[in-house]
This record gives sequence, structure tokens and C-alpha cells, in this order.
Amino acid sequence: MNFKKIIVIYKKEMLDLIRDRRTIITSFVLPIILYPLLMIGFSSMMSRQEMKLEQQDIVIYVNDQIQNNISKELVGSLSNIETLQIMDEAIVYNEDTYLELLQDHSIQAVINIEDSLSIAGYPIFNITCFYDETSEKSSMTYRKIRDNLNEVEETFISKRLEKININSEILNAVEIRKKNIAPPEQMVGFIVGKFLPYLLIILTISGASVIASDLIAGEKERGTLETILVSAARRNELVIGKYLTIITISIITVLLNLLSMYLSFRHIFMQLGTNMGEFQLPIGNFALILLLMLPLITFFSAILLSISTYSRNIKEAQSYQMPLLFGAIMLSMVSFLPGFELNLGFSLIPIVNFSLMMRDIMLNNYQLNYLFIILGSTLVLDVITVYISIKLFNRENILFRTADEKSLKFWGKSKKDVLNLQFIMVYFVFMIIALYYIGGSWQLKDMMNGMIKTQLLLILLPVLLIMRISKTDIKSNFRFNYTNPLNFLLVLIASLPLLLLAGLLGQLINAVFPVSESYLEAMQNLITIQDSGIWFTIFVVGVLPGICEEVMFRGFVLSALRKKGIWYGIILTAILFGAFHLDPFRFLPVTLLGIWLGFIAVKTNSIYVPILAHFAQNTLAILITNYAEKFSFFKFILRDDEIAYWVIIPAIIILYLVVKGFTILNPIVTKNEENTFIVKIET
Amino acid sequence: MIIVKNLTKVFQQQNGEDLYAVKDLSFTANKGEIVVLLGVNGAGKTTTMRMLSTVLQSTTGTATLEGYDLKKDPQNVRANLGFLSGDTGLYARLTARETITYFARLYDVPEKKINLRINEMADLLDMHDFLDKKIDFLSTGMKQKVSIARSIIHDPPIMIFDEPTAGLDILTAKNIISFIHKCREDGKCVLFSTHIMREAERIADKIIMIHQGKVLAQGSWEDFKTETGLHDLDDIFIHYVNSING
Repeated sequence: MNFKKIIVIYKKEMLDLIRDRRTIITSFVLPIILYPLLMIGFSSMMSRQEMKLEQQDIVIYVNDQIQNNISKELVGSLSNIETLQIMDEAIVYNEDTYLELLQDHSIQAVINIEDSLSIAGYPIFNITCFYDETSEKSSMTYRKIRDNLNEVEETFISKRLEKININSEILNAVEIRKKNIAPPEQMVGFIVGKFLPYLLIILTISGASVIASDLIAGEKERGTLETILVSAARRNELVIGKYLTIITISIITVLLNLLSMYLSFRHIFMQLGTNMGEFQLPIGNFALILLLMLPLITFFSAILLSISTYSRNIKEAQSYQMPLLFGAIMLSMVSFLPGFELNLGFSLIPIVNFSLMMRDIMLNNYQLNYLFIILGSTLVLDVITVYISIKLFNRENILFRTADEKSLKFWGKSKKDVLNLQFIMVYFVFMIIALYYIGGSWQLKDMMNGMIKTQLLLILLPVLLIMRISKTDIKSNFRFNYTNPLNFLLVLIASLPLLLLAGLLGQLINAVFPVSESYLEAMQNLITIQDSGIWFTIFVVGVLPGICEEVMFRGFVLSALRKKGIWYGIILTAILFGAFHLDPFRFLPVTLLGIWLGFIAVKTNSIYVPILAHFAQNTLAILITNYAEKFSFFKFILRDDEIAYWVIIPAIIILYLVVKGFTILNPIVTKNEENTFIVKIET
Repeated sequence: MIIVKNLTKVFQQQNGEDLYAVKDLSFTANKGEIVVLLGVNGAGKTTTMRMLSTVLQSTTGTATLEGYDLKKDPQNVRANLGFLSGDTGLYARLTARETITYFARLYDVPEKKINLRINEMADLLDMHDFLDKKIDFLSTGMKQKVSIARSIIHDPPIMIFDEPTAGLDILTAKNIISFIHKCREDGKCVLFSTHIMREAERIADKIIMIHQGKVLAQGSWEDFKTETGLHDLDDIFIHYVNSING
């Protein structure tokens, strides 16, 4: 790599971009004028609106059902409120008529003074004030009336007390004084810290994405990429030169945004007459945030660069950027959510970590060690993403992708071949949606019944139908093959160690990302024996998923995905299997089990083995949950419902022996035989 | 000098079948020689050119350009090569001078020599009037001149032209043809691809006819005439296509 060439490329790209009007406007001009306009417009509108509201005439109707001196005094006191007019009393009071007027906004409140009760000879007035909370004018009227009547009440009370010769001061037994110890800048930080991360993340992406899509996908579109590839510049020099360009423009955009935001804030505070000496905006924190933004910017730039390299033209790049933007927006919104505190787990999740860290920085309440973890983990991600970009840039089929290549052909080369990646992915997405809406509502109505319906109608039936319609042979593709009975024995031996390993993994995840108790309880309920009895529970939670889910995943999905390589197929199938359980906290344990199930399916070449394994796994989970106390063995490995960590060693040893056993029992199938049984499609 | 040995490029098609875009192509092109790759659209001309310019990697076989191997030393291959095609894009927001300077720097032309070279090029191609105008405002002919200048700014010993006249008007095309002749006079090795028989006939020292990725025949215009007994290049080409099909 030649640093001088990188600079040459970088300089040219910068020159090219700065001459582009679009870049100038979106990255430079917009931030400079946006905030002042927003702030000034917003605040002047607010103050004008408030002023207008204060000065507006308000009309209320008073229905005095008591009509004595005191009630008249009450009503009379309302005239203390400026601009308030009381409607002439009607002869016949009809509540509905006035409520209608209130709804029409012809009047702003209706007051009903009702019969007074007497306690110890003193009347209590029941006053109902009808108002419309959605109308600013009406709710303002309510507040004015309330404040006014409260004052009147106080004078009433002191009069009463005077009569019996008691000083009204004695009513004050406890006086509460509010003292906010948060310094003003922390208050600003508290408010700004909530939305600033969100705003900055979106600004960074939107600024960088315009440029990134132009830099490589744009060059492909304009036909200049080939020229540059033929030149003496190396691929990595090109990628890094362009990468630096995106970073530079992003930094400028973010800087301008922050600066403009800061200045307009300051301006507003000054206009409001706030003493700036007392009410400092936390500028040191702004600087720290800027520092924190650097790795975030490099991270986004690297991802956007990869997207741009992969895309054929700007439009395609922009459509690939959308999911990134949506994902980033969702993740960055955690700073709005209460109860999310930065911990080790969150500090490793990109975007979430920045969002939470920035909030803490604005509150002046951050931990330095997390700051370093965030910077470090992001740098690692940066390196990986830039490396991917360079790799992509070296792939000729990515650089010269032709138009027809990407058209989604769900049915593959022939209409009958359903066992291909695209079809499986589309099918999977539909199934997950169906599982979420249809299966979810079935199970909400009746847990057990719903689970039976889900397994049979949503998981098993569609697969069988597709195979039937496409006339694909189920027996050979799904491995309904004879197998050595000893395999079943091995699977049973492996089931306990596996369950414990998966459980440990779950425990570990739980330690990093603590889950709420109620959630754990709900999970527990699922495998706790219901009223329906143990055999029925085993049937619903053990037998049915064993058969239905295995046919779908180790049968249907795996047979399609393994064409690209055995481990590729096993792992991708396991990931889909994990995602299928619609539970982020169980994703990794379930995926781990999925890898095992895929492994034994391929190894033994018979689907009956994973079916038994899946069944054994689930049934064992039910038994342990319900009967663990009864066996001293489980008391030994379970401590306070937690699996002891030493279990990992014997579990892995047993699994290793079982894998050895599989290898001995099932000699490797030669490559030719493999191919014939995988893709045997009836014509 | 270009020596191509058994160059083959296989593309994986959507249906999983292999497509031989170029199969077992071998030829040599010497200094001061114009070699024309002649074939219909889809014959494998562009794929060959792209492999020789290291943009694509060959599946099997290789070639040496000025002694540098495509696979072992792509960097030096590119440094000794000028590449020009009909649709070579240029950066619309840069001026002609900026564009040429950019490429000169990428090709490691010494900073002091860059302006000198640009002036030479501008004299040769009559570009002085629009040297400092943005590419966006130039006509097609002017753009093509800028493309020529940027492809030869580093004075490479080998020039590759991939259908450089496609879609150009007759005057612009003539500029290019005379430029190619100049390259030969300067002792460069020129590889030129086209599907237009007349163009090949006019400039080629040596013609390599390719069809469906394979060489039909190679030699001079005169060689073909004597071998086939025909006079028209169109007829000769069809004769060779038929000879492998029938």
C-alpha cells in the first residue's frame, strides 16, 4: 500500500464532492441553517401563541344550584380573572346543551356548583368544572378557574377559623420546599441527552450515505470504475482513499450540526433572558461526544462503503441503505427508554452502546471503562468492515454484476426445483410472519391446543404441500432413510450434556443481559406440566416439535441450503432454526442445538435420528423442570435453579465421545453418492 | 510485447452451468504492431481485454505484458498499460487538466513532468481550448480526446483499445484511428478490438478472429485471402465461422 496514492485518491474525491451541489447542500448548508430556523421559528411561534392565548376572551357558563350569598361570592370571585366572561344564566339548566357548547368550543368551561353538604355546620361546596383537555384554551381556562377557587377557599377557611379564634397559620404543619440539586447544566444534559444520541446517529448516517453511494456505486453507474481499476492504483488504496473521504465529510457534517445546534441553543437561552454564566451549556461534554462520534462515524462509513461496493448503481445502494438506517434508528432510540443502563453487554452492541454512553456523558455520569470498551469494540468492527470492503472490491463478480443476475427468481432454474436458497428464505420469512400472527393468536386462546395447531398446520403441513405440488421427492431429499439403531442410543446419551450446555449458554446470556422475572416465569410455564398431565405435555412439547420442526428444518431447509457446502448448510439452518423461536434471549442456545441436530442429520443421513434427538431434548427439559428435586443427581448439578459451571467439562467429554461414536457407526459417504441423494428431483 | 498463453475464463451462470467466455486463447503481439481482435458481440473480446488489464482474473492460463505476469505481478502489468474503451467514463465535475493530472499521479508520473506531458498531449490532440473546462461541458469528441490523453499520460509501452470507436461519429473515430497509428509509429504494442470488419481491415497488422471464446484463425489480411481464396473480409469471417460449425 502506498500512502501517497491514497492521498492522491482522497484529494481527488474531496475535490469532486465539494464541487457537487448536492453534497454542499445536504452536508454543509442544511445543518447551518436548519437549527436556527427550527429554534427561532419554534420559539417565536410558541411565545406568540401563548401571548395570544393569554389575551383571548374566555366564556364560561356557571350553573349555581345553591344561589346563596356564599355561592354568589364564589361566582363573583371568578370575575377576578381577566378576560373572563360569564354567560347569562338560562332559566332551565340543561347540562347537555352547555356540554355541547363546550364541545363546539363556543364556551371554554362549564361550572356546576352543587348542593352543599354540611360538616359541623359548615357548608362544603361541590364544584364540578367541565373542560376540554384537548383544547389549549379550555384547559388554560380550567387552570385559571382552579387557581382562583383555591385562593377563595383559603380566604373562606381563614374567615371560619377567625370566627372561632384560631390563627389560620396553624394549618401549616408540614411545609414542603422543592430544591433540585441537579446543577442547571445537568438538567440541560438530561433533556438534551435523551434526544441528542438519536439525532446524531441519524445525521451521521444520512450525511455519509449520500456520499458513500456516490463514491463506488456511482462510479459503476457512470462507467468510471473500470478506468480506475485499470490504473496503477491498488484496490486497497482505492478503498481506503474513498473510505477517508466518507469519514471526512461525515465529520464535517456532524461538526457543523453540533456547532449549529449549540449556537442556536445558546441564542435561544440568551433571548429568554437566562443568565448564561449560571446556565452554561455543557460544552466539555459536547467535546467528549464529538470524540465518541469518531469511531461511530468510521463504523458507519465502513458499512456504507461495503454497501456501495456491493451495489450496481446509486439507486440500489440507497435501497440497501434503508434497512441500515431503520435498524440504526431503532437501536439509537434506547436512550429514550427508561430502565436501560449501560452495562458490559450493552457496551458491546453497536449503536446501543453509543446511544447510552452519550446520554450518560450528557448527565456527567459515565464510567470510563465502558468508554474504552465501546471505543475498542467499535474499532475492531471498523477493521472487519473495511476488510470486507476491500475483499468485495477484489471480487470481480461484485464489481461487474450484471442486471439480470439479481432478479429474484423464487423458483430457481426450473419451476419444480423448490430446494434453493432464495425460495427457502422467502418461505422462511412468510412462515415467521405466520407464526407470529396466526400461531401467536392460537396459542393466546388456548396454549396447548394452539401449539398442536401451530406444529401441524403451520410447520408441517405447508412443507408437505410444497413438496407435493412441486413433485419433489420427500423420501430421498428429507432423508427418510434407514439407519443403524445404535445411532438412536448415541443421540439419547448426548441429549443431557447438550441440554446442559444450551442451558449454560442461556445462563451466560442471562448474566450479561438480565431478563425480567416475569419473562422467565412465562418461559417456565411453557415447560411446566399443565393441568392436562405429563403424557399430554410430552406429546405437545416433545413429540410434535420433534417431528414437525425436524421435517421443516433438517428436512426441507437443510436439504436446500447444504448444496452450498455441508457446514454452510448446517449452520445457516441452525441460525434460521434459532430465529424461528422468535425469542432473542433463546436464540443462541437454540441455534447451538440446531447445529447439533443438523450435524447428526448429515452424519447419519437419516431424519429419524434428529427427530429422536429433538424429542429427547424437549422431553428432558420438561422432566428436569418438573421433577428435578426428586433426583439427587439433579440436586448435584443444579444450584438454586442455576446449572453449575463445572458441568461444561463432563458434558463436552461425553459429546466428544458421542461424535466419535457417530463417526465409527456412519462411514463417510463418497461425494458422488451424496450428490445423487440430495438432488433427486422427479421429472 | 504481449504473450498470451492458453487464456481461459469461465463464468458461473445462474443455472449453475459453466460458460466459457474465453477458451484456450493464445497469441502474441509485438512492439510496433497493431493486433486486432475481431469477433461478433459476445465473442469474448471484452473479457479478453479485461483479463489482460487485470480487471478480471483468468480461470486458467495466463499472459505476460512486457515480461510481467498477469497473475504474479498485476501491479506492474497495469503500470505498463494504457487502456481505452468506447464508454470510458470521466469525472464530470473535474476539469480536463485535473482528470489527466489525477491519472498521471496514480501512474506515478513524476510531479515535475506532469504539466510537460499534459502540454505535449494538448498539442498532439489539439486540446488547449478546453483544458481547464469541466468535463460536463465538453462535447463527445472532446471527452474522447481527454480519455485518450489520460490513457497515455504515463507513456505506456502497451495500449489496449476495447472497441474505442463504438458509438462515435466519423470525425471523432478518425481522431482515434490516427492516434492508434501514432502509437505504432512510437513503437508501442497495440491491441485493438472491434466487430467492424472494415476497421480491422484498415489498421491491422495482424488479425485474430475469435468466436464463442475460441480462436477461429489468426494471421494477416493477406494470409486469410490466400488460405480461403476469398477477397471480402466479411466472407472470410463467415467462412471460418462455418468451418468450425460445420
